[in-house]
Amino acid sequence: MNKNEILSVTQEIFRDIFDEDDMLIQDSTNSDDIEEWDSLNHINLVTSIEKEFNIRFALGELVSLKNVGEMLNLIIEKLK
Amino acid sequence: MNEFILDDIYIGLTQSFSVTITEEMLDKFLAVTEDTNPLHIDKSYALSKGFSDRVAYGLLTASFYSTLVGVHLPGKFCILQGLDIIFTKPVYIGNTLTITGKVSYINDAYKQLEIRAIISNQDGIIVSRAKIKTGLIDA
Repeated sequence: MNKNEILSVTQEIFRDIFDEDDMLIQDSTNSDDIEEWDSLNHINLVTSIEKEFNIRFALGELVSLKNVGEMLNLIIEKLK
Repeated sequence: MNEFILDDIYIGLTQSFSVTITEEMLDKFLAVTEDTNPLHIDKSYALSKGFSDRVAYGLLTASFYSTLVGVHLPGKFCILQGLDIIFTKPVYIGNTLTITGKVSYINDAYKQLEIRAIISNQDGIIVSRAKIKTGLIDA
């Protein structure tokens, strides 16, 4: 999968978690941009991404992520 | 009460328990919720709509999903985070329900469990299904 394909799949996960069918995300999107992106929804996002891509994150990898772009890059690394 | 911690839990870990629905349970649920829909309190109305008796409140029976995670799986260290329920068959006073949950996913980083659960009646018929998300506050 290339980054655009991963972005597309991840965007669907965001739409499902935040219940917004037309939500658009980009590399710079972070929790300041999405009002309901709280700690519990963050956990739900991580669980859904792990299951969708069949990858596992360590806590240390997650705490330093600053935006969607960094998450996508981490997914790409995990899929290699 | 079980006290499963993250290290104890694996995909497929299953727990279950049984309970019989009583008229007193319906009456108490009515007192708390003030849900006066006649399907739950008027037998003749329920019969006229094709049911065989007063129908137990769906969320009364679903409240046992709370017991499942809070007492059995994972038990003491549970914090309920989400519940997605589908009701498939009616439940009546006198039915004995078996609530069963199986761990289907473990998010190790954030200590979140996903549990697939069902409630079945004394005839083995599934009356509801649920996907449950719980956190673990075991440390």
